[in-house]
Amino acid sequence: MSDDKKIGDKELAAISVSVILFSGLMFHWVAELISTLDLLELAYGTVKLFNNPLVF
Amino acid sequence: MFSTILSQYKTTLTVFLVLLVIVGLEVLQVRAAIYPSLLPAFEWLKNSTPLGYIGTTYGSIYATVQAMHLLAMGTLGGLVLTTDLRLLGVMFRSTPSEVISNGTHKAFKVALIVAVLTGIFCAAGVADKVYYMPVFWVKMLALAAGAAFVFLVKQPLLNSKPHSEINPWIIRGMAITSILVWFTVAASGRWIGFS
Repeated sequence: MSDDKKIGDKELAAISVSVILFSGLMFHWVAELISTLDLLELAYGTVKLFNNPLVF
Repeated sequence: MFSTILSQYKTTLTVFLVLLVIVGLEVLQVRAAIYPSLLPAFEWLKNSTPLGYIGTTYGSIYATVQAMHLLAMGTLGGLVLTTDLRLLGVMFRSTPSEVISNGTHKAFKVALIVAVLTGIFCAAGVADKVYYMPVFWVKMLALAAGAAFVFLVKQPLLNSKPHSEINPWIIRGMAITSILVWFTVAASGRWIGFS
């Protein structure tokens, strides 16, 4: 790998922090989605997102 | 050899050291141990400070500061989207991304200061309520992470060299992460309002 293609310190830090933050936040929002679906299931008995809306 | 790596990758090693400390604190349940001791500070903020008094007594002042907080958050969101969508090459392609990221960063600092100051006032009025809200802590965590990301990682990299010399995937990764972090700050903020 030539010198100009080398990933420097700041680039490596940036991509590491980006991956960590992105993964953490996606984990958070997916967990929120799952708990929301659980709450909907508790309230309505069943949740069929892509099914006949008349089941509600 | 080791000292060469240490000096060459100082920022990266600091990032992993910070991460290690955070994981260590979580494993040792330090956060859970500190949490109850924060309640008196929140109660003091609401009951014994002018901020808490004004926030709970004068609705008009609270609404005005709340509006300023929302405007500052809206400005922050707009600046973040402008910068990051330019870095992703979605908009303002005719303007160099260096010009946009430098220009928006100055306004970003002002908007962040206004958002934090007005946010402290807004939280003071309902301090004993927000203390118990997990979503409030999510917002604070996302805000701290977002600010640290911008000031310690993103902007230093963008200012270090012409953007054309930075790996485009690193720039895209930073932009997407930045949008997600500030989206979390905004969404958690509105969730506090909803709760």
